[in-house]
Formats: sequence, C-alpha cells, structure tokens
Amino acid sequence: MIYLTYNIIVLIKQILDIDQMKTNSTTGEPITDGVPMRVENLSKNAIEAAVRIKEKYGGKVTGIIFGGEQSSSAMKEAYAIGVDDGIVIKGYSGRNPALTAKVLSEKIKTLQYDMVILGNQSADTYTGLLPGKISSLLGIPLLGNAISIDPEEKEVKVTRVLEDHNVVLKGSYPVIISVSQEINEPRLPAVLQIIKAGKREIKIEKAAVTDASSISVISDRAPKSERKKEIYEDQEKGIPVLTRVIKEAML
Amino acid sequence: MRGIVFSDKTETLVQALTFFRQKMEVDAAVPAENTQPLQEYGAKRLYALQGTGFSDNVSEAILGIIEREKYDFIFIMSTALGREVAGIISDRLGKEIIAEVFDFNLDNSKVRTKRFAWGGKTVTEEESDCRIFTVMPGMTEASRTSEKSEVVQVKLNDSKISLVQSIPKSSSTVDLEHANIIVSVGRGIGKKESIDLVMPFVRAVKGELAGSRPVCLDYQWLSEDRQVGLSGRKVKPKLYIAIGISGQIQHIAGMRGSKTVIAINKDKSAPIFEEADFGIVGDLFQIVPALVKALQQ
Ligand SMILES: Cc1cc2nc3c(=O)[nH]c(=O)nc-3n(C[C@H](O)[C@H](O)[C@H](O)COP(=O)(O)OP(=O)(O)OC[C@H]3O[C@@H](n4cnc5c(N)ncnc54)[C@H](O)[C@@H]3O)c2cc1C
Repeated sequence: MIYLTYNIIVLIKQILDIDQMKTNSTTGEPITDGVPMRVENLSKNAIEAAVRIKEKYGGKVTGIIFGGEQSSSAMKEAYAIGVDDGIVIKGYSGRNPALTAKVLSEKIKTLQYDMVILGNQSADTYTGLLPGKISSLLGIPLLGNAISIDPEEKEVKVTRVLEDHNVVLKGSYPVIISVSQEINEPRLPAVLQIIKAGKREIKIEKAAVTDASSISVISDRAPKSERKKEIYEDQEKGIPVLTRVIKEAML
Repeated sequence: MRGIVFSDKTETLVQALTFFRQKMEVDAAVPAENTQPLQEYGAKRLYALQGTGFSDNVSEAILGIIEREKYDFIFIMSTALGREVAGIISDRLGKEIIAEVFDFNLDNSKVRTKRFAWGGKTVTEEESDCRIFTVMPGMTEASRTSEKSEVVQVKLNDSKISLVQSIPKSSSTVDLEHANIIVSVGRGIGKKESIDLVMPFVRAVKGELAGSRPVCLDYQWLSEDRQVGLSGRKVKPKLYIAIGISGQIQHIAGMRGSKTVIAINKDKSAPIFEEADFGIVGDLFQIVPALVKALQQ
C-alpha cells in the first residue's frame, strides 16, 4: 500500500474577544479599547481538523494568519495544538473580506498544498464569505460546512451540514474545506507543548494593502430593547407576577 | 431598479421576495424542485436551476443570468450554500459585498443597510454603493401576490464536486413556529435528566419545549429541531419562557419576535434580562416547581 501524506494549509483568524467587549451604557457604542484578541473558535476547530489528519495519515500543517500585532501569540497557540509551520502576514486593518481573501490566496499560491482548511464563519461578523472567495481566487472546489473529513488517495470525502439535511461530497485535490463547529472538540494543549511552542520560529511577512471601500458607517450601537424588564430578585414577589402573565398567555 | 434574489430555501426566499418587491422589480433563482410553491410571491421571473447544485455550478449559473439581465442589485439569502455562492459571485464580479443585512433601503443612489456587528452586540447602519448582499432570514412576514411568476428553466453545468450521498435529518414534528407558549431551556439546567424536572412546567403551561444551541446541538439533551436561535428556529410565540439561558445574541436572534418574554436565571447580570419583560433572579430548580404549584392553584 502506498503511504499517503498530505500538505495542509490552515487559515487562522484572530478576533477581538467579543465576549469581553462591552458597549457604552449611554451611547450604546462598542468599547474596544483594552479588549484582548483571541483565536476565533472556528479557527481552533479548523486547526484541530488539520492536525488530526496529519496525525492519522502523516503530512505537514502550515498555519497562516493575516493579522497584526498580537498574531504571534495566536500562532504559538496553533503550534501547541500541532501546526508545523507558521506564517504571520501583517497588515490586516479593516474587516474587508475581499482584501483578506486576496492576501491569503496570494500566499497560498506560493505553497504546496492538497487541502486548505478554515472555519465556515467567524463569531464577530458571520459573513461566511471567505471560503467562497478563496475557492474562487484559487480556482479550486469548495467542500463547505464539513463535520467530517475523510482523505482518500486522489479525492477527499466530506460530510456537509445543510439546513435541513446533510450530504456527503467528494472532490479531487487540491480542495478548500470549511469546517462547522460540530466537526470536533479542539484539544487543550499540554503545558509542555505550550512551552515548546513558545520557542518556535514564526515567519513574519507584510502585506501592502489599500482598502478602497464605498461603505461608510452611519452608526454602530447596541440595539435598544423595548422590553418591560420587570425583574424580581425576591421570589415571593416574582412568582405571583409570572403566574399571572403565564395564565393570561394561556387564555 | 431591478434585482435578483437567490435562495436554496423556500421559507427564506418568500420572505425576501415579499420585502424586495416593494422596493424594486425582482426576479428569483431557486433549485428547480422548489419552483412550485414560489410562483405567487411577486418574482417577475423565476429561474429554476435544474440539476444537483454545488457552490461552483450554482454560482456560474447565477453569474450567467446576471450578465444577461444586468441587474442593479443581487441578494443572496444567508444559507450554507448561499454564503458560499455570495463569496464566489462577489469575487468574480470584483464587487464589494455587505454580508448578513437585515434591513435595506434605497436613498437616492446610495444604499442604507443594517447588520449585526461585534458578535451581535451592536447594530451597524451603513451607507454604500454596494450592489451585492447576503440577507439574513426573517426580514419580513411572507405574503402572496396575485401575479404569477414566469418560470424559466436553467440547466446547471457539471460541478467539480460530486454528491456521494444525501442523509436526511429526521424531519421535524415539532411545530415551534406556531406555538402559543414556548418553554426554552439552556445550559443552566445542567444535565439531561433535568428536562424531566421541567416537563411538569411545560405541561402546566400547555407549551412546547425548546432549547438553546448547547442543549440541542452540543449536548443533545434535546433534538436539534428544537433549537431556537440564529442557526436554529425563529419563533414568535405569545409567551417565551427562557430558563437557564444566558441570552447571547445568537439565541435572541431566534426569539426576538416573541410577544412577551419571561426569564429565569440565577445571574442578575445575565443579558437575557435585558430582553425580558418579566423575570426572576434565582435558582431554576426552586423557581420552576414553585411556578408549577402556583399555576395549579
Ligand atoms: C455562528 C453561531 C451561531 C449560533 N447559533 C445559536 C443558536 O441558534 N441558538 C443558540 O441558543 N445559540 C447559538 N449560538 C451560541 C450562543 O453564542 C451561546 O453560546 C448559547 O446561546 C448559550 O447557550 P445557553 O444560554 O444555554 O448557555 P450559557 O451561556 O452557558 O448560559 C447558561 C445560563 O444558565 C444560568 N444558570 C446556570 N445554573 C442555573 C440555575 N441553577 N438556575 C438558573 N439559572 C442558571 C447561568 O447564569 C447562565 O446565564 C451560536 C453561536 C455562533 C458562534
């Protein structure tokens, strides 16, 4: 039997840790100062998926981050999970998916790969446009929303989740695969791995980008809730009110 | 002004057609098997895409239609396939796109749109010259028109991707969309067995049981067809009772249309209380049985 190994590229996104982000209580505007960055959860699923394929079949995983100042620590996190080589491209400024796709695919074109793996959406904007854009720029088939990946000799089989059913798809290498959250539970790397990862080298590059957008932001505020917000901390008082509201709704 | 709407889901397409036909003349592109129920929603032309559709050949077909018809606007409904198609089409046209809009207005030559940002914590209103958008489900209530669409058959080209197998998800018998009262449980219930503790309450209020994503998807304490939220069902009951649900925006996205909301949560600062009309801060394992008792009196 021929022993197959795979060259896998995993695209890693860093986002502001939105769970820690607050909005201004009077203006409703986001307060982004001092909010740390984190590796987007779906990127962790993508890294885990890539590393599992490598562990099972052999091969190499290259991580790419289009990011900024804190991206080296994100790459070290990726190393600790099992990424072999890391490239950080600095110059990420806005949230323009066309630009991100262009920078990433230009880099990908210089590398050898069988599979490009990335998250299907990200928790900050949910645009979900990157998989399609990159597949278009690279001219390779997109197997999207995967919950399982089975590499074979010439093709890869992927189970794809759709809204009301799942499908099993097949495509010939090279392919781009976007993963859905259910694909795996990303591992928590052992302390030893984290220490080792800290010492590894990261390739730092720089992208020269200009963002020509016609989009101007008119406002960016927390939505105002019109709810009554009658909240009881005293159960004795709350139970009768809730009982009345429920009984009214049952009529 | 003319636009085209693409969706592989009938339910969201009829909402979008209802919304956009009031702003411009619209056509629609859909998988051929979906054309039948769609002809009465105001699409002038209905392009029926024949064959098995994947991101590549569906994008190609739509690009072909766009090239011929020179639409002013392209709207793609946000589904797994739709987002991929939107990525490909916007790249091929070299046009800027705004994703996940839930409101759209024409303002002279400019477009005003709204979408959620920062994981849903804020709403961003933007003005742009954009012509392509992905559109969130639930923009408006769907309604029929008297005019019937002209159906045009379009054959899809072969794809680089092949279909090995289709796996149906067990079709849902849970009718959350029409439920009067929904009792929805979150990770706060702690374990699957706690559902048994909540059931007497569900029966007492004659409600339907639903849950947050962790409960339905990650832990499978409830079936997936009971998940409410952004990636689940969109519900608008008379009364929505959230028990042990923190109220993250992706959950709120599925229940925002509820007439009245009750929340039970032990954390006073849980965001669900911002989205509730009535609420009690406390342990659900005490409050739920107490409510059952009070309701029986
Ligand atoms: C792309 C995307 C799509 C998503 N789609 C959805 C979706 O469709 N639906 C959805 O629900 N989520 C969705 N999510 C996930 C969402 O972000 C939240 O993670 C999820 O809603 C949290 O579920 P929860 O409230 O049950 O759990 P938690 O956030 O863990 O909240 C549990 C709550 O229970 C309370 N609690 C604990 N014990 C008790 C007790 N004894 N008594 C009373 N209260 C108690 C806690 O105070 C806490 O507030 C999505 C996320 C992403 C990124």
